[in-house]
Amino acid sequence: MSEVAESSALEARRLDLAHGQRRVIEGLDLRLPPGQVTAIVGPNGCGKSTLLAGLARLHAPGGGCVLLDGTDIQRLPARELARRLALLPQEAVAPEGLTVRDLIRFGRQPHQGFLRQWSWEDHRAVEAALAAADLQALAERPLEALSGGQRQRAWIAMSIAQQTPLLLLDEPTSALDLGHQLEVFELVRGLAAEGRTLAMVLHDLASACRYADHLVAMRAGRIVAQGVPREVVTRELVAELYDIDCTLLHDPATGTPLLTDLRRFS
Amino acid sequence: MSLFPAARDGVTPKGSPLVDLPSPGGYWRLAWRWPSGGEASLLFSRRSALAHFGLLLALLAASAVYLALGSVHLAPQALGAVLLGEGDAVARFMVVELRLPRLVAACLTGAAFAVAGCLMQTLARNRLATPGIIGIDNGATAFAVASVVGLGVSLAPPAMALVGAATAAAITFGLTAGGGSRGYRFIVAGIGVGAVFGAITQLLLARVDMDTANAAYPWTVGTLNARPPGALLVLAMGLAVGLVMALRLSRALSLMRFSDAIAQGLGSMVGRRRWQVLAVAVLLTGLAVAVAGPVGMVGLIGPEVARSLACRRGVPIIASALAGALVMVLADLVGRVLLAPVELPVGIVTAVVGGPWLLWILLCPQRSLA
Repeated sequence: MSEVAESSALEARRLDLAHGQRRVIEGLDLRLPPGQVTAIVGPNGCGKSTLLAGLARLHAPGGGCVLLDGTDIQRLPARELARRLALLPQEAVAPEGLTVRDLIRFGRQPHQGFLRQWSWEDHRAVEAALAAADLQALAERPLEALSGGQRQRAWIAMSIAQQTPLLLLDEPTSALDLGHQLEVFELVRGLAAEGRTLAMVLHDLASACRYADHLVAMRAGRIVAQGVPREVVTRELVAELYDIDCTLLHDPATGTPLLTDLRRFS
Repeated sequence: MSLFPAARDGVTPKGSPLVDLPSPGGYWRLAWRWPSGGEASLLFSRRSALAHFGLLLALLAASAVYLALGSVHLAPQALGAVLLGEGDAVARFMVVELRLPRLVAACLTGAAFAVAGCLMQTLARNRLATPGIIGIDNGATAFAVASVVGLGVSLAPPAMALVGAATAAAITFGLTAGGGSRGYRFIVAGIGVGAVFGAITQLLLARVDMDTANAAYPWTVGTLNARPPGALLVLAMGLAVGLVMALRLSRALSLMRFSDAIAQGLGSMVGRRRWQVLAVAVLLTGLAVAVAGPVGMVGLIGPEVARSLACRRGVPIIASALAGALVMVLADLVGRVLLAPVELPVGIVTAVVGGPWLLWILLCPQRSLA
């Protein structure tokens, strides 16, 4: 995937996001480290999905801004933004009857036009996305006929075909079993190895520690800690985020933090 | 079409012509280079091409039968002679002066209703959200009837029908402002708005004398028998504009079938596109109602037939137009011939056929649009 531009920088400055009258995020500063995988974790309702939507301009900020390589994303035309930043929302649903290849081709839409419907770039991007997500054998299958993990990989492949240097994933592994989660995480690591900048919202702190280079922990619309997972994740942080007490170990195989002996504070 | 090398970076081997580029399976690709040096390419789904061809053939066949049958049946040879500008004067008068304008009206209204239906179904991501069901037809009818029975307003029916269609759509959207154009809330509000406008039409007709009410009767069921002069021409122009606009929107439409977040993430300006799609649907509905009245179910059956035949990846705009025209021609043919010399209004035929169809859709919820 040599055509993906080198990593670009996405940055939120004093960002305010609201759902109607309810302020979800206030004055948040965040910079996604280029070329790395950032995981955003936190309890339900802490605003992590809203933050991701705000970073992708699905939510207009009430205040502050999101800068993509120094430009306010509100000023970018829709198609140009879609060529530089891809977002895969949670629980994506496709129209009936699409094959895997059909779906992945939609990822090329921001690069196409009414009179530019199929080019060499499109062809190569779709083939590369099929290969990256290991879906060549399933390319002509209808989406309905895939397993959950395969379908999720097809959605990610659509975002890969968008060939954006930045890729945001909202809970890409929710509702997947362990094996299928692994498929998705390995795909994510592979994309980062190619130089893309990724950010994903995750429910599971353990997978976040295992697969992310950078961890952002949120609570009540604020960032309470961020950095390399093994340095950031402490017993105190777990208590602050989830109101639980635990024993913290380090995985002898990988050195990543492991939580055991979980207890609710009473 | 010319052969030329794709002039991009080193990845494409020099001299590798664009004609060598593999199309996605099941597609034909037409590519050319502009004098300015830019590349252009169009994809055509084979399945859709076949569907269009088949629908066109069926429409032509149905049209021939439509022109031949009626109060006086013409043999195929006689019809052929008339179409070639020969044949006897009576037959020519019947075909050219009586049946042909009505056939054209059937084709144009059917196409307009079906394309409007296809647009609204895609916009609302629900097969039930056709203009006929969400009250746009009724709004157009109420305003057109008001102009016909004369409430001191003397605008032409097409203009009034357009205003009515826009009003009904605006009220429906206004009532569901919070919920957006998706889901059952929108449809339920539309059904209510349609009922109110239907009642207004009845009220207008109850206030006038018997003759005027008789004259306005077509407006309550939908018929091709009483076409206001000039309305057909306006519809023809509106349909041309509407089809071009719908085709320009086709790529945005195919993204509308996904959730908003995905469509937006792929660079579609969802909010703006939605208004444009709605505007085209209102235009087509209003102008078609001005010609034929609220002919129900064509906006439902046409796109449904088109979708089942054409490629699944896109939104079948032209196929819907062809299928809608076909449905309308067949329905009016049945209406004219079945109980001859008594003529059934086309709206009654489509309602009789469309009712069971609607039931089937309601009872098979697993075949949803999204």
